[in-house]
Amino acid sequence: MSAVAEAPSLTPVVVRLKLSLLRNGLRRSGGRRAAFVASAVLALLFAVSQLLGLILLRGHAHAATVTVIGTAVLALGWAVMPLFFPSGDETLDPTRLVMLPLRPRPLVGALLAASLVGIGPLFTVLLLAGCVISVAHGAVAFAVALPALVLALLVCVALARAVAAANIRLLTSRKGRDLAVLSGLLVAVGVQVVNFGVQQLGSTVLDRLAPVADVLRWVPPASAVGAVDSASRGSHGVAAAQLALTAAALAALLTVWGRSLERLMTSPDSSTLQPVGAPARGRAREGGGLARLLPQGRTGAVMERSLRYVWRDPKTKAAWATSLAIGLIVPLFNALQGTGSPYIACFAAGMLGIQMYNQFGQDTSAFWMVALTISSPRDAYAELRARALALLVITLPYASTVTVLTTGLLGAWDRLPEVLGLSFALLGAMLATGAWASARFPYSIPQEGHKNVAPGQAGLAWISIFGGMVAAALLCSPFIALVVWANISGAVESWGPLLLPLGAVYGAGITLLGLRLAAPRTAARLPEILTAVSKG
Amino acid sequence: MGTIAVRVRGLWKRFGQQIAVAGIDLELPAGKFIGLVGPNGAGKTTTLSMVTGLLRPDQGTVEVAGHDVWRDPVAVKARIGVLPEGLRLFERLSGRELLSYSGRLRGLPGDEVDRRATQLLDVLDLAGAQHKLVVDYSTGMRKKIGLASALLHNPEVLFLDEPFEGVDPVSAQIIRGVLERYTASGATVVFSSHVMELVESLCDWVAVMAAGRIRAQGPLAEVRGDAPTLQQAFLELVGARDRDAGSRLDWLGGDSR
Repeated sequence: MSAVAEAPSLTPVVVRLKLSLLRNGLRRSGGRRAAFVASAVLALLFAVSQLLGLILLRGHAHAATVTVIGTAVLALGWAVMPLFFPSGDETLDPTRLVMLPLRPRPLVGALLAASLVGIGPLFTVLLLAGCVISVAHGAVAFAVALPALVLALLVCVALARAVAAANIRLLTSRKGRDLAVLSGLLVAVGVQVVNFGVQQLGSTVLDRLAPVADVLRWVPPASAVGAVDSASRGSHGVAAAQLALTAAALAALLTVWGRSLERLMTSPDSSTLQPVGAPARGRAREGGGLARLLPQGRTGAVMERSLRYVWRDPKTKAAWATSLAIGLIVPLFNALQGTGSPYIACFAAGMLGIQMYNQFGQDTSAFWMVALTISSPRDAYAELRARALALLVITLPYASTVTVLTTGLLGAWDRLPEVLGLSFALLGAMLATGAWASARFPYSIPQEGHKNVAPGQAGLAWISIFGGMVAAALLCSPFIALVVWANISGAVESWGPLLLPLGAVYGAGITLLGLRLAAPRTAARLPEILTAVSKG
Repeated sequence: MGTIAVRVRGLWKRFGQQIAVAGIDLELPAGKFIGLVGPNGAGKTTTLSMVTGLLRPDQGTVEVAGHDVWRDPVAVKARIGVLPEGLRLFERLSGRELLSYSGRLRGLPGDEVDRRATQLLDVLDLAGAQHKLVVDYSTGMRKKIGLASALLHNPEVLFLDEPFEGVDPVSAQIIRGVLERYTASGATVVFSSHVMELVESLCDWVAVMAAGRIRAQGPLAEVRGDAPTLQQAFLELVGARDRDAGSRLDWLGGDSR
C-alpha cells in the first residue's frame, strides 16, 4: 500500500485545513455568512481608507511618528488578540495536533503560513503598506520597504502565535476561560477610556508623541518602518541595523514559539493532572458570614446561591458589572454635564431590574435541581421571591445611592423623594415583569464565549427583555401619571415627600402581584423551562 | 413479590420526526436494584427524564410509589432522588455548598443537612475536596457529589442515569458500595447503563430497551434465560448477534502495513 510513501509537505496541508475551517464555519448558517462578508467588507474598507490616508500623509512632518506608533499599536493588537478570542482560530490550538507524528520545526513553518490566510493578515498588509509608502522616499528606501513590510507582517503573526502557544494552558483552563468572558467587559471599558483620552488630547499631541516614536522605531516590528524612514533620510547603516533587529526579533519569536509548541506536544494536559497532595483550603465557611444574615429554609438557600453566583459565575458577574457600571455612568455623566433631569436616576433601577429577567436561563441546565424541588405554585413563589430578594439586596441600596448622587449633583434635593419613589416603582415593575418573563420566555445563556443567547433563541430573548421593559413602563404608568400630575398641579410643593413611600409601596405591591402571577406559570412549565435553558 | 415502585403505562415521546420512546409499559418492583439497559440512543435518558418529571411525555402515565408524577408532584418529588446525565450541577458552588443548597431547597433543617452532608462527603471520599468548586471536579467526583445530593433527603426511589459513565474504578466501587447499602434498607434504585457486565453484577431486576421500546423485563435470571451472559442475551434481544466484522477488515493487523 502507499501509506508509507514520502510524507507530503506539511505547509499546504495546514493551509488547506485553515481554508476548510473558514469555509465550513461559513457554511453553518446564512446569518453567519452575511456577518462574515459584512465584517470583511467593513474591515477592508477601513484598511483601504487607512492606506489612502497614510499615503496622503506622505511628506508630512509627522508621517514617521504616526506610522511608527501605528505599527506598534497594530503589533500590540496582534499580541492581545489570541487572549481575548482564544477559540477564534482552531488551527491556533496546537494541542489539537498533538496526536499526529509532527516535528515542531516544520509545524512552525506550516502554522505560520496558515496564519497568513485570513482577513486579519490582509488588513495588516494594507495598513503596513500604507505605513511604508508614507515614509519611503527614494529608490533605496523603496528597496528597503519590501523586506520591511514582509518582516513586520511576519513578526505580527508570529507574535500572536507565540503568545497563544505560551498561554494555551491558561486558555484551556477554567480560570483562563473565565477571564476571557470578563475580558469583553475590559475591552468595552477600555474603548470608552481611549475615546475619552482622544477627545482630551488636541492636535498638538503629535509633538508630544514624537519622543515615544523615537523609542518605538527601535522596537520590532515598528523598527521595520523605522528602517524605511532611516533609509529615506540616507542613514543606511541605521536602516540596516533596524531591519536586522526586526529579523532577529522574528527569529527569536519563532524559536520561543517552537519551544512552547514542543513542550505542549510532549507534556500531558495540565487539566487532567491531579494536584499532588494539594492542601484542601479548609476554610470552614459553613454557616458563616453570608448565611447567618439570611433567612432559613428555601428563601435563604436560594438567596445565598444567587448572591454567590453574582460573584463566582463569570457570565452572571459580567452581566451584573455591566448593569452596575452603566446604571451609574449614564445618570452621573448626565448630571455632571448639568443638563440632565433628576429623573434620569431611574435609569439605574431599570438597568439593575434587567437582572431579574431570564432567571432560570442564568441557572443553565442545572435548573433541574430547582425543578425537582418545585412541586406546587407555593414552592415556585418561594423560589421567585427569594431570587427577587437576593436582587434587592444589591439593587435597593445601589439605586438609592445613584439617585441621591444624581439629585445631589444637580442640586435638586427637593426632587429626591419623588425620584426615589419613581425608582422604587420602576424597580418593582421590572421585578414583576422579570419574574413573569422568566417563567414565560426562558432562554439559554451559553457558558463559553461572549454570546449571551443560544443560537435560535435570539427572538425569545428580545421578546423577553424588550417586551418586559415596555410592560414594566406600562405597569409604572399610573405612578408616573401621579408624579406628572403632582408637578403640573403644584401639589408636589405640599405633599411631594409623600411620593417616596407611595412609590415604594406601589413597587412592592406590583412585585408581589407579579410573583403571584409568575409562580403558577413556573410550576406548570418546569419541563418546558428546563428544555429551553439546556441549549447552552 | 412486594409492591410496585414505578409503574409506567403507554409512555410516548417524539422529538420532531424522531420517536424517542414508543409506547413503553414498565412495572418495577420496590426494594430492588433495577438496571435499565440498552445501546446508545435507545431512549433510556428520555424515559428516565419523563419518569422523574423533568420531561413532559406526549402520552402515557407514570406512577412512583403509587402517585402520579404529573398529577401529584408534591407526593412524588419528595420521594425520589435523581442523578441525570448531561445536565449541569450548580458548578460554581463548592461540594459542601451544593449539598447544603439542595438539602435546604428540599426543606430539611440546616443542622440536619450539615450532618448528613458531612457523612455523605466522608463515605464518598469527597471530604478532601469539599471546599473546591464543583466546576473543578473530575467526572467521577461530579457523579459522586450528584449522588450525594440525590441521597440527601433519603428518597424511596433513586433514579440514576449512567452513574458509572466515565468514572474511575475506585470511585465506581465507592458508588457501588453506597448503592448496595441503600437498597439493603428496602429502597429502590433504578439506573441506566449500556455496560452489561456491570448490570449483571449489580442488578437483580433488568429491563432491556432498544429503539424506544422495552424488549424484555423481569428478574435478571429470567431475562438472561439460556444465554451464558447478559451480554449475549442482550445481543440476541436487539438482534445484533450476527453482525460479524471479522471477514471485511482482513488487512487489519499489526505485522504488515
